[in-house]
Amino acid sequence: MSQSLATTPPAPADVPAYNPRNYLNAEAGITSWLFTRDHKRIGLMFLVLTAVAFAIGGFFAMLIRLELLTPGPTIMSAMTYNRMFTLHGVVMIFLFMIPAIPSGFGNFFLPVMLGARDVAFPRINLLSLYLYVIGATIALYGMIHGGADTGWTFYTPYSTTTVTKVVPILLGAFVLGFSSILTGLNFIVTTHTLRAPGITWMRMPLFVWSIYATSIIQILATPVLGITLLLVAFEHAFGWGIFDPARGGDPILFQHMFWFYSHPAVYIMVLPAMAVMSEVVCASARKNIFGYKAVAFSSLGIAFVGFFTWGHHLFTSGQSTLDAGVFGVLSMFVGIFTAIKVFNWTATLYKGAVQFTTWFAYFCGFIFLLVFGGMTGIALATVSLDIHWQDTYFVVAHFHFIMVGVVIMAWLAAIHYWWPKVFGRLYSEGWGLVSAVLIILGFNATFIPQFLLGNAGMPRRYYSYPERFWALNVASTAGASLLAFGFIIILIYLLISLRYGKIAGPNPWGSRGYEWETLSPPPTENFLEDPVFTRGPHDYTEVPEGAEVKHAT
Amino acid sequence: MATTTNSHSEHDRMEHARATRYWVVWVALLAGTVATFLLSRVHLPSPFNLLVALFIACTKSALVVLFFMHLWDHGGANRLVFATSIVFVTLLIGLVVLDNATRFTLTNPGRGPTLQMEPPGPDILTPRGPPEPATRPDVPPVAEPGRGAGIPAPEPAR
Amino acid sequence: MQPEAYVAHHFPNLRQQEHAARLGMWLFLATEILLFAGLFTAYSVYRFLFSDAFKAASERLSAPLGTLNTVILITSSLTVALAHHWAHHGRGKAAAVSLLVTLLFAASFLVIKGFEWTHDFHEGLLPGRYYASTELTVTGAPMFFTVYFLMTGLHGLHVVVGMVVLSVIMVQCWLGRYDHGYVTPVELGGMYWHLVDLIWIFLYPLLYLI
Repeated sequence: MSQSLATTPPAPADVPAYNPRNYLNAEAGITSWLFTRDHKRIGLMFLVLTAVAFAIGGFFAMLIRLELLTPGPTIMSAMTYNRMFTLHGVVMIFLFMIPAIPSGFGNFFLPVMLGARDVAFPRINLLSLYLYVIGATIALYGMIHGGADTGWTFYTPYSTTTVTKVVPILLGAFVLGFSSILTGLNFIVTTHTLRAPGITWMRMPLFVWSIYATSIIQILATPVLGITLLLVAFEHAFGWGIFDPARGGDPILFQHMFWFYSHPAVYIMVLPAMAVMSEVVCASARKNIFGYKAVAFSSLGIAFVGFFTWGHHLFTSGQSTLDAGVFGVLSMFVGIFTAIKVFNWTATLYKGAVQFTTWFAYFCGFIFLLVFGGMTGIALATVSLDIHWQDTYFVVAHFHFIMVGVVIMAWLAAIHYWWPKVFGRLYSEGWGLVSAVLIILGFNATFIPQFLLGNAGMPRRYYSYPERFWALNVASTAGASLLAFGFIIILIYLLISLRYGKIAGPNPWGSRGYEWETLSPPPTENFLEDPVFTRGPHDYTEVPEGAEVKHAT
Repeated sequence: MATTTNSHSEHDRMEHARATRYWVVWVALLAGTVATFLLSRVHLPSPFNLLVALFIACTKSALVVLFFMHLWDHGGANRLVFATSIVFVTLLIGLVVLDNATRFTLTNPGRGPTLQMEPPGPDILTPRGPPEPATRPDVPPVAEPGRGAGIPAPEPAR
Repeated sequence: MQPEAYVAHHFPNLRQQEHAARLGMWLFLATEILLFAGLFTAYSVYRFLFSDAFKAASERLSAPLGTLNTVILITSSLTVALAHHWAHHGRGKAAAVSLLVTLLFAASFLVIKGFEWTHDFHEGLLPGRYYASTELTVTGAPMFFTVYFLMTGLHGLHVVVGMVVLSVIMVQCWLGRYDHGYVTPVELGGMYWHLVDLIWIFLYPLLYLI
């Protein structure tokens, strides 16, 4: 199994099933975790923190859905409802979606996949974690004091004049932005300078390519968000305003600057999801990726073209018709690169020896929902259609298809695929499949009604609605409850597996990813000896031990 | 371990560079500053004053970036990073100003005189000039540039 | 201290580590460029919309003082570059003196800026809702000053941060910590300072001259 390493590999009998001296027990005590420079510990802490943030954001989501169970007030006032959807958006996007896969799995696996001992700047990595905690605390402070009611998009002039506590939330997001920037910076430098011998640019795992593209977006886009939020905070707190219409300010300027970040931000969320899936699809089909270069370069393509499209969020806001037309056309290009990936993943599965595991179930959900979420995105990018759908539940359903249906499925797939590597133990496959089905069904039950609602005209961010929308709203809330139930089951069996799970061994899936060449859980320096890689990253031409079916080209 | 780059030759080039280049660049930067100051006193017609000033600023920046920041010596990725950031700054500023430049002029903030203009014709980029007031009942009479007559400035909520 | 002692455990050699440090610094500078780009966007939009008002407003700023500040920053960039050059050749004391001169230039930049701001304060040319000038009342003039204070304020903040960074490096240079084997902190600190100068090179004509 370890013939790929040019250095003398240990004989299979000598490889311990559970690595006794791993990164988890290398040093004990809470200070060894708080001041660690080990990217694996930092990644694990990010994973735990983002999971907590996900729970908080999910809690707000359940409150929203409960409120929408009846047309009038159900459990809260209108002002509280505004705060609920604002906080749901802020927590989910800034505290969960942006950092979850890059700062969690990226931190853990990017150096391992490059054969490096750590990221380029371990202390900056730790700083990124601290900034995440600081930003989250500041935002939490704002939430406890009532939170904002502006929506997570903070449109001016309302956000500059509202009486709610918008400044702490803005400052929290500002600090979180720097956490994101530092992570991206670290990954780019690591990819350029710390690749092990044998890993050329064209032999890097596809996970690394997509995380690299994500990092480019983080570097270029996040500062613009930073300055924009800072300007809103300044205008709100001190009256130093450039968005105030009464003084000649242009509120649409805020929208331009905000969406210049926030559209590429959705690619910060989606590209890591695609990164995970590129790894998962090869491991599940036990086949080389179809079109390595196409998948690798399409990641860069999405990163760059994603910057040209922000105006499609402003179609009905009052920007010029020329700009609307330009952005409408440019928005179509992103679909090309996403389609390239979808076709390549599907072609990878074709005639593969598929093992249907939990993480493959999430892959199935992912690919199906990416197609529909992506296509509705292209539909929304058509100006004439968006005029009717803008600010309705159609948009809400579209982005939840991508954020939940694509990103969260990928997050769950990553958790399940890499759980044995991170913790050295396997979870219960039966319960994994059950909850995967629950999640996928619950997801569809929640958000397909929302497409119908939006198409029928129900506006988003509305606290009450006419009676004719009642049934679909109830259906959506029922689906959300299924989703919540599914997540709770996942949490339970994963926690149980930490103690009682079967020992996984170095490579339970028979995957050919580079990270599976080391022990589970990995030692602090990632590999026992500095690796030299003589084969490609997803190379299944040699059948791994334990594969039931011969490799199919 | 990790693959090494060709930074050995870059390092050696830096090793043998002399300090004279910095003084030369400094003089060039001062000359550019003087030039841009004097040219501004000439009051070139718009948009040439802006273009000339930006051209001189870009040249000065290029000197700082290439020689003071050593981009002339160090290759590859650093240059790509800097160039990419400039491209995206241009993209941001370009498309945003294009929006304001091509908007139906009444929707642009604060433009007093444009209140008199007709909406753009079939060719969106060449709006027609101000019409006879009698044919445009929806346009208020010419107010002084600034806020429309009689509209008090709203106080921002505190 | 031998150069090899500076190599971190995950880098194969010092050259690779230096290359990584430089690339990391360029990436950070790219984020700073994009940070200021937001303000330059606001400036561009409002200059386009209120071109006459901006022209009138910029005449209220002192172009001579702005030019003097530009000369000061450009010269401080020279002294930083020389400091790096001398540190690279092992002349730590000369490098430290050069950095001290840089700090003096930076301080005088801030002092002149302080004069300008105080003058504007007395004339009522203030940002946002504090604008109180009775002489310059054309629509868009208050917007010029809001953008002016935001841009020069953010730039001034970066000058202060740069001064702190350069002070630390100056002390290390004086103590002889750097030579041709290891001079990375001086290089990176210098790059930050050059960026501060770079931004001012654009702020100067856009705010003071046109």
